[in-house]
Amino acid sequence: MPCTAYRAGVFEQPDYFQARESMHTIRDLPIKGFIDTSFVDWPGKICAVLFFPLCNFRCRYCHNADLVIRPDQLATIDPEGVFSRLDDLRGWIDGVCVTGGEPTLQPRLRRLLEVVREAGFQTKLDTNGSNPDVLRELIDAGLLDYVAMDVKSCLDESSYCAITNAPASMLGRVCESIDLLRGGRVDYEFRMTVVPSYHGPEDIFRLARDLRGAARLRLQNFSPGERLLDPSLNTVKPYTPEALANLQLRVDELLASGSPRDSTPFAPRCP
Amino acid sequence: MGSVIDLQARQKPEQKISETTDLALNVRTSSEDMTGWDRQKIVVALVRETGLDQQTAEDISLDVEAVIKKADIKCITAPLIREIVDSKLIERGLEDARKKHTRLGVPIYDVDQLILHPNKENANVPHGPEATNLTLAEGIKKEYALLRVFSPEIGDAHMRGDIHLHDLGFIDRPYCSGQSLEYIKRFGLSLPNSLSIAKPAKQPEVLLAHMVKFAAALQSHFAGAIGWDAVNLFFAPYLEGRSDREVRQLAQMMVYEFSQQAVARGGQAIFTDINLYWEVPKHFENVPAIGPGGVFTGRTYGDYEKEAQRFVWFLFDVYREGDGTGRPFFFPKPLVHITEKFFRTEGHQEFLEHICDVASEKGTTYFVFDRGETAKISECCRLSFKLNDNDLNDAKEPWKMRFCALQNVTVNLPRLAYKNMGDEQKLFNSLTSMVELAVKAHLEKKRFIESLLALGETGPLAMLTMKTDGQPYIRMHRASYLIGMVGLNEMVKAFTGEELNESKRALKFGLKVISHMNLECQRLSEKHTMHFVLEQTPAESTSYRFARLDLRDYGEIARQYVRGTIDSGEIYYTNSTCLPVSSRENPIERVKSEGLFHPIIEAGSITHIWLGESKPSKQSLANFVVKVFRETLNDQIAFSPEFTNCLQCGRTVRGLLDACPCCGGQEIDGITRITGYFTKVSGWNKGKLAELKERNKNRGFFARTQTGSA
Repeated sequence: MPCTAYRAGVFEQPDYFQARESMHTIRDLPIKGFIDTSFVDWPGKICAVLFFPLCNFRCRYCHNADLVIRPDQLATIDPEGVFSRLDDLRGWIDGVCVTGGEPTLQPRLRRLLEVVREAGFQTKLDTNGSNPDVLRELIDAGLLDYVAMDVKSCLDESSYCAITNAPASMLGRVCESIDLLRGGRVDYEFRMTVVPSYHGPEDIFRLARDLRGAARLRLQNFSPGERLLDPSLNTVKPYTPEALANLQLRVDELLASGSPRDSTPFAPRCP
Repeated sequence: MGSVIDLQARQKPEQKISETTDLALNVRTSSEDMTGWDRQKIVVALVRETGLDQQTAEDISLDVEAVIKKADIKCITAPLIREIVDSKLIERGLEDARKKHTRLGVPIYDVDQLILHPNKENANVPHGPEATNLTLAEGIKKEYALLRVFSPEIGDAHMRGDIHLHDLGFIDRPYCSGQSLEYIKRFGLSLPNSLSIAKPAKQPEVLLAHMVKFAAALQSHFAGAIGWDAVNLFFAPYLEGRSDREVRQLAQMMVYEFSQQAVARGGQAIFTDINLYWEVPKHFENVPAIGPGGVFTGRTYGDYEKEAQRFVWFLFDVYREGDGTGRPFFFPKPLVHITEKFFRTEGHQEFLEHICDVASEKGTTYFVFDRGETAKISECCRLSFKLNDNDLNDAKEPWKMRFCALQNVTVNLPRLAYKNMGDEQKLFNSLTSMVELAVKAHLEKKRFIESLLALGETGPLAMLTMKTDGQPYIRMHRASYLIGMVGLNEMVKAFTGEELNESKRALKFGLKVISHMNLECQRLSEKHTMHFVLEQTPAESTSYRFARLDLRDYGEIARQYVRGTIDSGEIYYTNSTCLPVSSRENPIERVKSEGLFHPIIEAGSITHIWLGESKPSKQSLANFVVKVFRETLNDQIAFSPEFTNCLQCGRTVRGLLDACPCCGGQEIDGITRITGYFTKVSGWNKGKLAELKERNKNRGFFARTQTGSA
């Protein structure tokens, strides 16, 4: 599939490092969604979730299309309100999950995480792995307690490009992030949303072999719904729960078949 | 209480000679000739049943004879004669006599309807011949209760809907009970009137068989739930030396036996609760254990922790699997006690995650929180018996630990607001009167049950009077009398303008109302040396009934506060002290806010968290459960998922769906929790269906997130 959805502009990287220096407040953070209590966004924890706009991928099955392509139509939530709500829930909420869109595109992400930490909450980042430098910086600064990285397909250029509609160069950065996480300096998981029309069992297993030795690769079922980026996918039938459970079992076996902390640098099949 | 029946007097042998019905059944007539007609039978019945003088009775019988001769009735039946007599009594203004002479029965149209259509009063009752019998018998006993057991003041208050007397159709039984396995372990199975007597069980399978049969026998003597204390612990001495496979099999047998026995009232399953512990509860630690053959093993229950844990783990394996089609088991309801000691017991985290896994997958688990030194037995939809010092003393001989609640009377709270709008003093005064009225109803039922128990071994409650351990099986001096409430939320809304979840002020007012009821219970308990306690009424049909009656009698104002859809008649009040089911209250705030009421509702409360189709991870639920224990006063929680069971392909999937997602079949059963237990949605009454539509399924919290602005 050609990268037709690619639009210049969206992919321009904000000057994160420069912005960071001058940021003393998080008042202008474009928080586009806030869930004060979630039982599903951080395995084993109860967390709040903050949603940020924009993404540098265009996965057709993205279920947060509004955030990705129409963020202006979503109201921005005042961070002060968010933090006062978190304060109400102190003792119950273990941490804050930052998600999107792609939150590493936000220039003030680091400051936000610092503020969350200062407020006494743990931090979790959801990312597509497209900004390894940002990820490395946050890990180095010890600002992340957990990272969930979405892996979209087998790690070859044509598969990745077909799904994300991102430029071919993106795969190298994704692989860099994978290596970074497999380094084990932060608790993490890889996740893959599986859509039967894109991800056959063999594709999934191939990725699992590529990720051998990783802590986990959690399969998430595609869920048709109103907010899909490409509404035509609404007719696609997701895997049945049983099928998904079986795929997950096989994936776990494949992951475990490598040495648990395989430190050899990851070599993607990038041309 | 002038009208309360004196059973001893009614049992006098000379008054048992013959039934009026038999006397009259001979009366058949052709158009001309009234074969077998005997006017004197009317006279005899009138004198015997109503105490009228001979002359009046003669006069009435002549009147009746004239009516019958004049009318061209082809076939005359005893009920018809009786009704003509009653009308003559009315003509003469003999109302008292008419009440005593009246018959209880059911119009033929109603019987037609009953036999053909399911009863929706209680979703646990299947539709079938036994269920029809139940409904017919209940109907007659209900009328009997209102006419003969309760005074007109109480009967009228029930009929008006000021209060609700629960299970009137079971007027001749206590309400619900907590049982001890130790009783049958020690004494075997020996019931009055039974055909054979079994010595104490030597094998766990036999103990289970005794338990099931005893439960069935008990169910026919109690209107409500049969709860069992510390089941896994009391089974433990029987499990030593048994393989995992055998213990797992036993767990499976227990769950299936209690979930499939459709033997109780009207073909229902026995409403069974099993109390379970991961640790050995402190009050049983040093208690001598009873083992196979009813013999003391020479060790204490503290020594049986591992066996008890093995059994309870397997029980939850069975619950997780669900039934043959993957549906959750409706009974026996597993109530797991979370205590301070729980957290000091090895393996508690794994076990907590195991039962949370079941909660997420099937919703079956109930989490009961016993903080500090509290110990309790829980059963029914939420009833619990807190154990006091006396009880803990009894714990040394656990077979004595038998509890019962004699009756449940629920107060219609919204109506009090309608009647006393704007006047807080008046409102609280009427609240006091309502609690007093409920207490009066309890005194009347107590007197009736005592009169039945006094008949001893030849009476209808012989089983409850057996004295195997030296005291009657039912320990009346320890009985509780429950006072419940429905619609606190609507009451507060009508009175303050805000719902419980809308402001601190509204919540505080709600707490004031319940505290007031609680204080009144305490005052009246001292006055009568009885134990009146508040309970969150399950109110499966009461919340619907109160809403309907209020619409009828207080329509103009009630319309604003009744929930659901008035036009379709799908209306209800919010249960007990719960926050409205529709509020997008975060589960944390729901357990916190609702939990504020729980300490003042001594006989038990629960917070339901509706899960809908979502399946949170067991670790996250375990995390939440620990925080509920540590951070709130909440008494009990349960997570309630929804299921669709396809009758065509036999699969069970999550969510309430219109068709089977696997085979597309339209013949499906929706399954979820109605009040305190799971049932098929098809059996629900209109009020509960309305509530179901409005339940907030916490999608934003438990389902995978989409944009959070939703």
